[in-house]
Amino acid sequence: MKETFASTITQAKNTYQTRVHSLGVFGILLAFVVICAALALTTPRFLTVSNLTIILTQVSINALLAFGVTFVIITGGIDLSLGSMVAVTGVSAALFAHPDTYPLMVPLGIALAAGVAMGGFNGLVITKSKVPPFIVTLGTMTIGRGLALILSKGRPISNLSDAFNFMGGGQVFGIPFPIVILVVIFALCSILLRKTIWGRYMYAVGGNEQAARASGISVAKVKMLVYALSGALAALAGIVLTSRITTGQPNAGQGFELDAIAAAIIGGTSTSGGSGTMTGTLIGALLIGVISNGLDLLNVTSYYQEVVMGVIIIGAVVLDGLNRKG
Amino acid sequence: MKFFLPAFILVAALISCNPSNDNAKGDKPLIGVSMLSMQNEFIVSVSDEMEKKAEAAGAELIVVDAERSALKQIEQVESFIAQGVDAIIMNPCEVEASSPAVTKALAAGIPIINVNSATATKPTAFVGSDDVESGRIAMEYIAKRLDGKGNVIMIHGYMGQAAQIQREQGAREVLKKYPGLKLLAHQTGEWDRAKSMSLMENWIQSYGNKINAVFAQNDEMGMGAVKALEAAGMKSKVVVVSIDAIPDALQAVKKGTLDATVFQNAAQQGSQAIETTLKIVNKQPYKKEVLIPFQLVTMENVAEFKK
Repeated sequence: MKETFASTITQAKNTYQTRVHSLGVFGILLAFVVICAALALTTPRFLTVSNLTIILTQVSINALLAFGVTFVIITGGIDLSLGSMVAVTGVSAALFAHPDTYPLMVPLGIALAAGVAMGGFNGLVITKSKVPPFIVTLGTMTIGRGLALILSKGRPISNLSDAFNFMGGGQVFGIPFPIVILVVIFALCSILLRKTIWGRYMYAVGGNEQAARASGISVAKVKMLVYALSGALAALAGIVLTSRITTGQPNAGQGFELDAIAAAIIGGTSTSGGSGTMTGTLIGALLIGVISNGLDLLNVTSYYQEVVMGVIIIGAVVLDGLNRKG
Repeated sequence: MKFFLPAFILVAALISCNPSNDNAKGDKPLIGVSMLSMQNEFIVSVSDEMEKKAEAAGAELIVVDAERSALKQIEQVESFIAQGVDAIIMNPCEVEASSPAVTKALAAGIPIINVNSATATKPTAFVGSDDVESGRIAMEYIAKRLDGKGNVIMIHGYMGQAAQIQREQGAREVLKKYPGLKLLAHQTGEWDRAKSMSLMENWIQSYGNKINAVFAQNDEMGMGAVKALEAAGMKSKVVVVSIDAIPDALQAVKKGTLDATVFQNAAQQGSQAIETTLKIVNKQPYKKEVLIPFQLVTMENVAEFKK
């Protein structure tokens, strides 16, 4: 038993290492650099400190969601309820964020609790029933949208406190606060995935669930953890978004799950589970942000932006498949 | 939602079939209402006003949400026809795609009234505002503020929707009148505040101080543009105008962050829709087209509009 356990862990470790040094992440990094260079050459406004700051701020929300869904996809699952969780958590935060009512910790705590609860609910249903995560989270996506509309009575909730609006609109030493959040969360997620036993368990569960179970890993606990994490990160994204636009919008976040999943996949996370890195996901999210910003700077109609994005997603998966065979 | 709702509507339609038929024969007129999207503050206001007015007039409403899908809207109208309602009020999702709903209702001999926006097929009556006028009012205000000279940016709604097409048309009519006004860039913000904010941030990067005014086709997007301009410290130099006069925008006009908005009267549209519908049901004379005028809201007159 002990031996199998150790070998599963080593196997997971190896998978991780091969992934990091595989063409996948380097391929996407190369693509990222090429696109940035092309944009820098075509529009002089691209490579300026202020523009890069703006790209990072715009990317932060998608990146937070993408980190969460990376954990989930590594364990072989999927989370389609991200966008709805952004709306529910954003609206719940807004309800308690009016000026001179509650201290800042209250709306933040409530949003995080709501996110963890929704994510935990996903995890619970997925582990207790044998229903595929795709179906379960499709259900919670609908439930979440409904909850956001119920909580807000279908209307945006405005008039939020300055302290709350700092989360998305404030600056620390000239750096927009969402970027600070992005960097801190990226570091924490990377450490969790690479340096802790729970990270190893995630790879093990996604790589081969039966082997993981046989070697004594509590698969249910790992799954609960990743969905709850996904919910918590969605809550953080909901807080940043609500604060950035200074209103809690019940229809916010529609389709965000797709951008987040795209970022993870572009970044080399395998849809079949067992592999993926936070660095890859971050590059994936940055790539999406850079393309959207660059095409705006070039005044290209957004229709073309969608086509470009689709081509890149398919390209990334094809690359991953080729890499896997070779 | 997409998967469960049709089933739900079917069940709801079956359940409500019998009582509604009784109602249709009884003294209370039954009106089926299909709204574009109940996730839109303006549309919710129109719908709330209709419910209020209907209750006062003793009519019964069945309000359903088409969730921006013309297909779903057609199905909803079909189920209203099957239920034998006395009249249908539709807030069309799309100009062309929602037209079959009008044709079907008319063929079944049930009067159908379009509220807020139009369809290609002429309904029994239309209650709403001429969106071309709102675009014209907004751009005229910009022309006045800039003395007919400067660079303007336009943020569109969802491309191809009636409101987007008409608001753009109105704005372009005015731009043609003032050769000094140049349209620097235009792009869709999909009626969304966060989208429009990102768009504006990117434009500030590419055009910077060249931007003199922004016309956003709805308030949500106008507010997004204001946020981006404020963050860049440029708001005092750029005129921002949008349309709808939602509470948030009125607040911003009062504070002076949003320069102007154009008031579209949700309450009037809702109550006039019910009034016209009841006239038709009771076979009284009615107007085929009830146009509710837009009004420009600036800091001077914002108090009249804030509740």
